[in-house]
Amino acid sequence: MIIKDLNHNSLLKKNSKLDLEALNLGSFPNRKEERWKYTPLRSLKKINFHNQLNFKIEHLSSLGIPKIEGLVIVLENGKFNSSLSNIIDLKEIELLFLNGAEIANNSQEPTQKDYFNNLNASFLTEKVILKIKPNININEPINLVNIISDDNCISNTQFNIDVFENSKLHIRQYFLGSSNSKDGFINHRNQVSLKSKSSLTIDKFQDLNHNFNFCNEFIDQEKESEFIMNTFSASGVILRNNVFCNVYGKNCHSELNGVFAPIEKQHFDNYTIINHFVADCKSFENYKGVIKESGVGVFNGKVIVHQNAQQIEAFQKNNNILLDEESKIYSKPELEIYADDVRCSHGSTTGRFDEEALFYLRSRGISMKKSLELMTLGFINEVIEKSNDSMYKEFLLKRLLKD
Amino acid sequence: MSELLIEIKDLECNIDNQKILQGLNLKINKGEVHAIMGPNGSGKSTLSSVLAGNENYEVTNGSINFLGEEISEMSPEERSWKGMFLAFQYPVEIPGVSNINFLRTALNERNKYYGIDSIPAKDFLKMVAEKSELVGLNNKLKNRSVNEGFSGGEKKRNEIFQMAMLDPKLSILDETDSGLDIDALKIVANGVNKLKSSENATVVITHYQRLLDYIVPDFVHVLHEGKIIKSGDKSLALELEKKGYDWLKTDENI
Repeated sequence: MIIKDLNHNSLLKKNSKLDLEALNLGSFPNRKEERWKYTPLRSLKKINFHNQLNFKIEHLSSLGIPKIEGLVIVLENGKFNSSLSNIIDLKEIELLFLNGAEIANNSQEPTQKDYFNNLNASFLTEKVILKIKPNININEPINLVNIISDDNCISNTQFNIDVFENSKLHIRQYFLGSSNSKDGFINHRNQVSLKSKSSLTIDKFQDLNHNFNFCNEFIDQEKESEFIMNTFSASGVILRNNVFCNVYGKNCHSELNGVFAPIEKQHFDNYTIINHFVADCKSFENYKGVIKESGVGVFNGKVIVHQNAQQIEAFQKNNNILLDEESKIYSKPELEIYADDVRCSHGSTTGRFDEEALFYLRSRGISMKKSLELMTLGFINEVIEKSNDSMYKEFLLKRLLKD
Repeated sequence: MSELLIEIKDLECNIDNQKILQGLNLKINKGEVHAIMGPNGSGKSTLSSVLAGNENYEVTNGSINFLGEEISEMSPEERSWKGMFLAFQYPVEIPGVSNINFLRTALNERNKYYGIDSIPAKDFLKMVAEKSELVGLNNKLKNRSVNEGFSGGEKKRNEIFQMAMLDPKLSILDETDSGLDIDALKIVANGVNKLKSSENATVVITHYQRLLDYIVPDFVHVLHEGKIIKSGDKSLALELEKKGYDWLKTDENI
């Protein structure tokens, strides 16, 4: 494989620049490929990246997130930042940080011929392994924070999350770009393994400002496991979420929800594949797009029900609101079914807010701006309500409504 | 001498280039109840929409003076802050927005306009309890999404509940009796009567005299082809109930 030509985790020399297109990592994606049809990468391609790992952030609060407690792991510009982190000793969790040469020894071959995955593997600078021991129920969410705070910096990071039999974990994952940085890029990979009867919920929040964030998420589910991922995309130049959920065991629950709210030419792309390899599983997808001021949203979700996977229930839904004439949504829900006894449905709607409803609110003395906000809130509430933490919900609403 | 609340002069208005109101005149003083009746398509609902500021209607001529201010170019929200209220014939469902949140936002937006602090949660809830009792609004409905899954009667009660919360100067009830059974009609009418004062006025738009048995008008107007063609006291409503509208139309055309 081409990757072998490169040194793993090669750190670029000072002042040397990384030209994405010139790298020998397979062909750079273009819109002729079905998977990248709706997301042009011109703006990313023209940036000359560096990966010198500097710390610039003094307090997490400067990034506009609420105070987070418990275990906090912070990676800034591709490197573990211990002073921003809060590493508490949890007996139930095995935590391992790999960087430098250690990564090379622990590396996996990329499983896919995917440019950004290969990029991540080749230039990986920090890999965190989290193992949750069997029969453990961790109530407090643990927090994984990925920050970009340096102009033109590329951050290639990985979290490996293994939840063992009968254990339960809740993760809050943050991808943040400092407001005074631009053209930084977090190219991240999550590798999740769920053993039988385990459960994992990830709330993922993306607020990159003038930076980019791509996430490749690989989830493997064994029997009777539960995986829930709620993705909240608030800001960023281009955000791309690739979720590959592979369900290998029976009686699993897989759930992907999301709210994406691009404004001002931001481009948020959700690309999901749920693979049902075996029978008797359920999967749900519910993505809501709120798009305004020339923002662009993409939902491209595919559920594949393989030949022997009978009695699958799979539901896929994407609803979008366009708030003005300039905004765009590309919505492509897909089902590929090779089994004959399944219950699957998918649907997509795109529209504007009901004029009559807006008049109703305004006639009660609610200003146009606030009325739109209330209606937006009503529209996304179904997904926000997935979180049962009122502080976190309030924070999400504030950032997603850009209040 | 009672104080003038609203004066509508020579009001003309279009929707989709079709003339609906064609020179309507109406004066309402504080403390009065006016009923507006008329056949289908005479412009009753248009009048209520225009007064509330629905931007789908274009005012082409005339003026609406509300408490000394010309409001025909004002946004619906600003009219509301000044004291205008429209109880909708078909209240709109707003999924995902709770009734409570909706009303709190409405009150706070008005407070903001007048530079007053937001209403404290405790006072607000007390007010909600008090005002919802007025129309016997089920407690559960307050936390549900605005009008979503409400029965016809519940929607109309919710309108009067909102009216009670906002305490308007001029309330326009657009066919509030439609879709109500007798018991609900009494409750709604009773709520409206309790909100009446010497400082506010009510306009009741209706097809039938029945509602006027419960909300007794000081004046009854007949609207036809976008104009008021006859005004009288409450006995006019009874006469209309007996004779219909046709005698008036022919009268007027002579």
